[in-house]
Formats: sequence, structure tokens, C-alpha cells
Amino acid sequence: MKRKNWKCLGAVLAAVMMLPMTVQASAADGSNVVYDGYTYDYYGNAKDSPAAFVLERTITAENLNGTKLSSVDDVCTSRDGRIFFIDSLESRMNILDSDGNYLHSVKLLRNTEGKIALDEEGNQIMLTNPEGVWVHEQEQEIYIADTGAQRIVVLNLEDYSLKRIIGRPDNLSGDTQFKPSKITVDFANRIYVVVQSSYEGILELTAEGDFSGYYGVNVPFYSFMDYFWKSIASDEQKAQMSKTYAPAFNNITLDGEGFVMAVTYDTSAQEYVFRLNSKGENVLREQENMTVVGDIWSMHSDDMGSQFVDIAVTDYGTYALLDRNKGRIFLYDFDGQILNVFGSTGNLKGDYKSPVAIAWLGDKLVTADKTLKCLYILAPTAFGQAVLDGNESYYFGRWDEALVSFEKAVALNANYEVAYSGIGKNYLMKDDYETAMYYFKLGNNREFYSKAYNGYRGQWMEEHFGIIMTLLLLVVGAVIWSEARYHRNQGRKKKKPAAARKKGEEK
Amino acid sequence: MKAQIKEKLYYLKYSFFHPFDAFYEMRFRGKGSLLIAVISIVLFGILQCVRYQYTGFVMNFTQIAAMNSLSVFATWVAGFVLFIVSNWSVTTLLNGKGGLGDITQVIGYSLVPVELTTIVQIILSNFVIREEIMIVNVISGIGIVWFLFMIVAGLCTIHEYSFGKNMASVFLSFVAAAIIIFLGVLFFTLMEQMITFVVSVVQEFIRRM
Repeated sequence: MKRKNWKCLGAVLAAVMMLPMTVQASAADGSNVVYDGYTYDYYGNAKDSPAAFVLERTITAENLNGTKLSSVDDVCTSRDGRIFFIDSLESRMNILDSDGNYLHSVKLLRNTEGKIALDEEGNQIMLTNPEGVWVHEQEQEIYIADTGAQRIVVLNLEDYSLKRIIGRPDNLSGDTQFKPSKITVDFANRIYVVVQSSYEGILELTAEGDFSGYYGVNVPFYSFMDYFWKSIASDEQKAQMSKTYAPAFNNITLDGEGFVMAVTYDTSAQEYVFRLNSKGENVLREQENMTVVGDIWSMHSDDMGSQFVDIAVTDYGTYALLDRNKGRIFLYDFDGQILNVFGSTGNLKGDYKSPVAIAWLGDKLVTADKTLKCLYILAPTAFGQAVLDGNESYYFGRWDEALVSFEKAVALNANYEVAYSGIGKNYLMKDDYETAMYYFKLGNNREFYSKAYNGYRGQWMEEHFGIIMTLLLLVVGAVIWSEARYHRNQGRKKKKPAAARKKGEEK
Repeated sequence: MKAQIKEKLYYLKYSFFHPFDAFYEMRFRGKGSLLIAVISIVLFGILQCVRYQYTGFVMNFTQIAAMNSLSVFATWVAGFVLFIVSNWSVTTLLNGKGGLGDITQVIGYSLVPVELTTIVQIILSNFVIREEIMIVNVISGIGIVWFLFMIVAGLCTIHEYSFGKNMASVFLSFVAAAIIIFLGVLFFTLMEQMITFVVSVVQEFIRRM
């Protein structure tokens, strides 16, 4: 079986290598790049699939009205479709509209009157090597992790004027540096800050900017052998051994229900994707046969697998993970079911060198590459749109719409298990168990097949209640009758010898 | 003839419930049948293929499209043949009284309860939901425990071993099986190299002529 997986992956890789030949320019200006996609089936075999997204537009320094662009570090979008991205080398936040046209750029911070903001000493307040940005819709604020200046800058979402500055919290213990890198703010205005290579976890700040604790558990992977050696080592030996620290979180975002989602690309971590509850535990939903790890098979033993640098979540729980190792984008639904994988590293149009950030822009995706200093706006293909629509409708309980979308996805990719499952789920909701079972079998979905079969079996029992009860009564009757006959015969046998004995005694 | 078959089948049934007595009778009074044992082992191999293919969807986690019935059959049957041979080779060294045929009979007869529970398992698995998988697993578990009990009882009886010595001999059988596999692989690898050598010499010869 393993061999087969290798073969499948080999086929996929071969297909990816042949990309230059199969790239089709579907738009007149040649801007659309059709990726080669794949997905994993129930058994973990890589299966060819149309990619869910095409490259719609590339945004480079040329599109920024003369603003210099030296790096892209983080991307965030607002609900009205503006794209905010951070350039840590130029210390700028650039703002684009939803089509990717230049709107504004922020370096010097201004107050509400439009004048340059000054600090207490009268110096101009300027962004200093910022690394992260987050749009907090609820309060109409933009949070910028101003890493170089060890502070968080809060701007107004409307006119980009300075609202407030959150410095290093006074109650942060010890002399740890406060170097916020990625940032998110939840519905209760709590601020979550990722500090790169910090093993304590995510910094949680109150809305006022006071330190309230470390958040999230990232458990390192430890092998049984390590445990064994540590258990027999002396204290001096232990001191010489390398310490196992908790892996750091690398990026963070907020999902539609207000849960913090985080990723790590530390290879010593046990899990790579987190959905943290209020206790900081990981409550990410995962499939029973497949965890959320990105690529399942790797070609070489020194291949580190997928390394997620960023995560983007839609309102309906579908999330995209950006892999910096192979430049792939993994789409998962809210249940942890893999939907689609596409993208690659390389030198071609639409390829990545060092991907760093991903964000949803409605149904589109915005990704950023630090080395290429560009943004890609990816638009869903017909197939991708059908899958996204289906997931959205299913998530919000609109069964009929979901059915239409998933049927469209099946029409575009007859090998797509997720869509078959999706169709089945919608028939299950309508109590059409037999049809649901048919589709769950095609979708290799044993969990839901069992649910549908439970209903079907119940219906069948109800319909054939008469026959079943008759048979049952017949069997019970037969048993009782045979028992009774057996006992009668036993009684006779006992009596007979007794009678014979009596006769003998008489003689 | 008919009476003979009837007696053999009677002892098959007898071995399920009184394994010590039944295997004693088989070993020392010739009540067993090698044919039944071989049929049982072959049947077990076939049942494993059937199980692979026809276990209900809810319980079947195998890739049916990638199934190779010959390899499934061969894997199971070869496993038992290997155990029979290795157990025999170990017990002859350790004063075991049982011969190759006796060991085959013990294995074959012990497999019959497993076969029966496997059939029940395959049929039931088509009518269960996820929550009821446990019930089916319990049934097949009963078959396996029964099999283990019979095989331990049988091997103790035919070799005239105590329980402890029997377990030691079984453990050594597994070691012996590993050695057999190793030697087999070694043999085939060396043969392959030899054949390649001969073939290349011949090819060289032909090309130079």
C-alpha cells in the first residue's frame, strides 16, 4: 500500500514538474496561472484534482505609485476589501483596494487632524521594522506589531490616524524583550501577540495593554529513548543534555467563532495547527484517519514535511495553510477534512520563493512572498468556487444550496470524495438514507455512512415489522415446544426404568 | 468408510470442548485426520480473503481496489506453515513427542473455531453501525482466545510438555521462524546474484563471439 502511495505522489510530482508545459494562460493578458492541484483520499493516496485557485493578479513595487517595496511580511484584509500589508525593511504599511490598486501607505503616523504625531520628547512617531498587522473590525482599528520599536501601534481603520500606542506591559515579568511579531485581537478586545522563538506561548494582553498571561500549549515531541536516557542520567549528565523547550507559535489568526487559531513550523512540535479554546487547549477538529499535517508522504527522509507559516480562516471555518517548505497552500474545511492542495516553489509566474503570509479576501486569497517582494491575489476556479460555496452552505445549514454546489464540484472532478460526502450529508439531512448511503460509500465516509445506515436499518425494521415479529415468535415458539417435548421425554425415560425396577423387585 | 469419517468429525467437535483429551486421542490413538487439518488451514486462508473483500463498509478499512487475494492467502497460510516447521524443528531438539503431522493437526483443528467466528463476523459486519462494531469485535475476540487455548492445550498434550516449557518452545519457534526467513531471504538473494553472474557471463560470451 505504501508503495502505491509513493507511486501516486511520484505521479503528482511528475505532474508538478511538467507545469511549464501545462500552464495555460486563460486571460488575454496572460495573468492567470492555472496551478496543478491534488488532494488526499481516505487512504492517504495523493489524487489529482483541479486546483481550487488561479493566480489573478501579481502586485509588485510597480503597482505602488512609487512607494518603495523591500519586503512583504504580513497581510491582512478588512471586510470592505482593503488589503493591508507590512514591509518590515521600509517600515511601511501599504494599503490596496480589493482589486489590488494602490490606496495609501503609512510610515509616519498622523493624528486625527492629519498632523504628524509626536511622542513626549517631541520626536516623530514612525513605524520601525513592523512585522505584523491585524484589522479589528469590531472597533474599526488596525493593530500593527511594531517589532523594532517594541510596541503595538493602533490606528483608525477609516483614516489611518493614530489611536493609541501599547508599549511593553509594565507587569510583564523579568526583563524579557517585548518584540511583537504577529498579532490578533478577539471579540472581547483581548490582544494576542506572537513573539518569534518564544517558548512561553502566545502573549495575551488585556484591551488596555496590560499583560494577563501566556496563552496556548505547544507540546514538544519527545521520543521514548530520550525519556529512557534522561531517566538513568545523573544530574551532571542532565545538565549537559540539550534542553527540550516548548516549540514557539509562528503565526496567529482569529476564526469566525472567535477562537484563536495558530500555526507553528517548529519540527519538534507534536501538532502544527491549533484552534485554542479559552484555556489555551487545542480544540482543532480533525478527521479520524488523517490529522492536519499538510503533506502526508515525503520523498526523502530529510524532507521536513509541510511547514506552515501562516493560516487564514473564513467565517465558515474553512482555512488555508501556507507551507513555506514547498510553497503549497492547503485548504481544510472546519472538520479538518483536506479539500485541496496547490502551489509550488520555483521561478515561474505564480510560484513562491519564501511565502510568508496568507489572508482571505472574500472568496479570494491574498498571499505574500518575502523574497519576491510581491503579493499574489488568487481567485477561485469554477471548481474551487463550488467547493467553497458548498462548504459555506453546509456550515450554515443551507442543505439545498450545498447540494447544488457539491454536485457541481463532482461534475468538475468525479474523483472528489469530499464532494460525494457533501452530497450524502445533504441527503442524510432530508432522511433519504439509501441515497445518502450510496454517496457516502463513494466518498469513503464511514462515519456518516454508519449514521445513514442506522436510519435505513430503522426504516427497514419498521416496514418489515410484521414479518420480523412473526419469525421471532415462531423461533421462540419452536424453542419452547422443543424444550417441552424434551422434558416430557426425559420424564418418561425416568419413569420407565423406575417402573421396571419395581417390577423386578416384585419378582 | 462412512463410520470412519463420522468418527473423525466427532473428534473435531470433541477437540473444541475437551482439547486435552481430544488431542491425546489424536496423538496416541490415531483419531485425528491430517486431511481435515490441511483443509482447515486452506479454508482459513480463503476466509481471510473473503474477510478482506466482504467485511461491511463500516468496518472495512482496507483498500479493496488494491487487494491481491493471492498475496493475502499466501501470507496467512505461509505464516502457519512456517510456525509448524519451526515448532517441529525446535521441539525435536527439546524432547517433544509430537511429529510434523501432529503439529499440523493441532494447528488445523484449533483454527476451526476462528473460522466459525470469522464467518459470523463477516456476516454481522454488514448489518452493524459504528457503535456496534464492538460487539462484532468481541465475537472475533472469542474465536481468537479459543484458538489460543486450543493451541496451547494441543501443543502441551502432543509434546508432553508442562505449560512453562510449552511457552518457551513456542517462543523459540518464533525465533526459529525468524531464522528460517532470514536464511530464505539470504538464499534467494545469493541465488539471484549467481544467476545474474551466469547470465552476464553468457551475454559477454555471445557478444564477443
